[in-house]
Amino acid sequence: MNHELLSGILKTVTKPGRYTGGEFGEIQKDKSDVRVRFAFCFPDTYEIGMSNLGVRILYEALNRVPTVWCERVYAPWMDMDEKMREYGIPLTAHESGDPIAAFDIVAFTLQYELCYTTALHMLKIAGIPLFSRDRTDEHPIILGGGPCAYNPEPVADFFDLFSIGEGEEALPELCALYERMKADGSYTREAFLREASHIEGFYVPSLYEVTYKADGTIERYTPRYPDVPARVRKRIVGNLDEAPYPEKLVMPFIETVHDRIVLEVNRGCIRGCRFCQAGMVYRPIREKSPEKLCQLAKCLYENTGYEEISLISLSISDYSEIRKLTDALLTWTDDAHVSLSLPSLRIDSFSEELMQKVSSVRTGGITFAPEAGTQRLRDVINKNVTEEDLLRAVGIAFKNGKNNVKLYFMNGLPTETMEDVEGIAELASHVITQFYRTPERNKMRPVSVTVSVSCFVPKPFTPFQWEAQDPIEVLKEKQEHLRSILAERKKIRYNWHDAEVSHVEAVLARGDRRLCAALALAVEEDMMFDAWDEGFSYERWCSVFERAGIDPAFYANRAFGLDEWLPWDVIDIGVSKSFLLREHERAYAEKTTPACSEHCSGCGANQLGGKTRWCK
Amino acid sequence: MVQMILSDTAAPNAVVRLRFFKRGSLAYIAHLDLVRTVTKVLVRAGIPVRYSEGFNPHPKIAFATAMSIGLESDCEFLDVRMAKTVDVEALRLAFNQNLTPEMQAVEAYLPETKFTDIAYSSYRITLVTQGADEALAAKCRDALAERPLTVFKRSKSGDKDTDISASVKACAVRYENGAIVIDATLTADNAGFLNPEYLVTHLKARCGVLSGDPMKERYTLLRTGLYRADMTPFR
Ligand code: SF4
Repeated sequence: MNHELLSGILKTVTKPGRYTGGEFGEIQKDKSDVRVRFAFCFPDTYEIGMSNLGVRILYEALNRVPTVWCERVYAPWMDMDEKMREYGIPLTAHESGDPIAAFDIVAFTLQYELCYTTALHMLKIAGIPLFSRDRTDEHPIILGGGPCAYNPEPVADFFDLFSIGEGEEALPELCALYERMKADGSYTREAFLREASHIEGFYVPSLYEVTYKADGTIERYTPRYPDVPARVRKRIVGNLDEAPYPEKLVMPFIETVHDRIVLEVNRGCIRGCRFCQAGMVYRPIREKSPEKLCQLAKCLYENTGYEEISLISLSISDYSEIRKLTDALLTWTDDAHVSLSLPSLRIDSFSEELMQKVSSVRTGGITFAPEAGTQRLRDVINKNVTEEDLLRAVGIAFKNGKNNVKLYFMNGLPTETMEDVEGIAELASHVITQFYRTPERNKMRPVSVTVSVSCFVPKPFTPFQWEAQDPIEVLKEKQEHLRSILAERKKIRYNWHDAEVSHVEAVLARGDRRLCAALALAVEEDMMFDAWDEGFSYERWCSVFERAGIDPAFYANRAFGLDEWLPWDVIDIGVSKSFLLREHERAYAEKTTPACSEHCSGCGANQLGGKTRWCK
Repeated sequence: MVQMILSDTAAPNAVVRLRFFKRGSLAYIAHLDLVRTVTKVLVRAGIPVRYSEGFNPHPKIAFATAMSIGLESDCEFLDVRMAKTVDVEALRLAFNQNLTPEMQAVEAYLPETKFTDIAYSSYRITLVTQGADEALAAKCRDALAERPLTVFKRSKSGDKDTDISASVKACAVRYENGAIVIDATLTADNAGFLNPEYLVTHLKARCGVLSGDPMKERYTLLRTGLYRADMTPFR
């Protein structure tokens, strides 16, 4: 952004450092060498976007191509957005300061459903027509990707195409196609999108016709041409050690959310919790070698100066070389004043050794996620932990001087009864009792347990994808019931998620193309930042649904038929529908399924190939 | 008088002082962000900084002044305590390589003064404002010469109208290239630090500067120097 010209405005907005660019490590290229100008948009604030690992990886992968220049774009916060519209300032990219409307490809990473309005608002302030059908050869190609692209249908009319799965290899391939077609003069939007549909991992929604049954459910998806695949299979990178990974980072001047080195130790999760989308869509599980990780850690430390390294994974303790990795890192990190941190740990893997080794565990808060209050319900969701595991883990924490424990739960899980809800209070009370039973406890400070309860949102590509979400009133009733029980227990703090937000999330998560009408209205009304309290308004969502003729309950609170054509059936994530059905059945039978490391359940993800450890 | 001979190597535990400028986008970051940034620069540059002892060690660095958002500077000082022997010039080059062109150290040396010696700071304030001409410059000159010079000031003891004239050591206003240019010297010691932004606020209220289209109008605040009580340049 041109801060000289905009200084009159930058001095009037909050955190102007979000908009100036010019960071150490940003990639500048000579425009005369560049054939594809690629804008990588993160539909949330700079501080959140700069912390995103996917953006860091793809920025690296795309800029490795000499003829591609990938730049970063973030959503201006509300005050800046207002000024930009008042003075007709278009949305620009960080590195060049050029308006993104003139770019070749404008990509959005869709990390959560509630960012849809922000993404579409960014198109609007960029001056790019919202609907794919209204764009011409002069407009950029609008690409969507990220976890929400596994069900891209609610935003299908706005995007020209979606990248399904991992983009490290797919996005450079797409750019190569674009460059070739521009060079040989064969480029038109239509021809390009048709060609792109032949690359594995790209879904072009306009190439499919969707028909509906009288009851509103989908009848079928029909490709408009014989060369268009009936289903689009997600891409994965086979060998994580060889996949592009940044060894330098763009260094923000202002503080960001995860302002540190992030090492991705593996992709996928061996556990298979039945509500968890990430656990399914990132299969098959692939690991990076500890040698590669150590080399990256050293490199990143030297190139960034960050004094914190965060190991990330859906389930870090399941990384088969965790001990080797932490031991190798600890040979130099302490002397260099570098601290290690881990994401929340699985209850059954929490050990005294980890407490001593890992500074985030040593000094930070302790968080566990039993997810459900009773063993019965934990079996339903396939969370293979017991109360005994939890009490053992908190016992270790208490013994080592901790006084606060945070516990995550979910309300509204399939088959949940009030007894399960009460189980949450019981479990929390048993944690308190465990404190007093621990002789070595820290007696200087009082014990406290924080119970944090979110609302279950059925997600595509999970064994619970067919499940109805509890209606808002039911969720609120459960929250209130728990609140009244916990009100009497002084040492337990209780907080819960807004049921209305989760409801809208469910509508968007399981929506089909007809939701585009509601989203278009939302953009007209300048709705954005729905993941923020400042942005979300349930009344406005109700209003746009109503005006678009959408019944939100049809998407959120209806049990989808097991034989129904689902909006996301056009996408193939490798994990088979028959596996999801089997898991759905086992949930109702209250039967657990072992982790991949114990026994391969034949989920189907192995057909994607890749260097995996457990897949049969 | 004994002349100290400047050595180009710093011994372990010695302090190296860097004088640096920060311009452009760096004007928009807060002081704490600058501290965070410099901490990482020192690591990237492989500079052997001393860390404090204790549970939560932090690098031993100190800045001469805390910079407010919106301020550019040609004259900032950073003191770094060394853990090992270093070549001072090599240190400066490594520091610069790990920063952007908007922030660079122009010299590095072993300091003979303390930051508490700083008494004044000079600024160049440039107002690109509608109607800028000699007459407006004269009006601004008069407004800044008012005694008392009353501005609405924020302070720990509450926000109130305050006479800041005692903090204005010198002030010259002229019209140049379509802009009003003010060279001001203000107190900058710990007790009496005056943010130059107050002069702009005063001129907005008194002379109506910068009241038009923010796409056409702008202003910059640039620190041009730091001085000791006798007005010799601080170094
Ligand atoms: S194929 Fe087997 S081991 Fe591989 S992810 Fe699926 S269930 Fe797990």
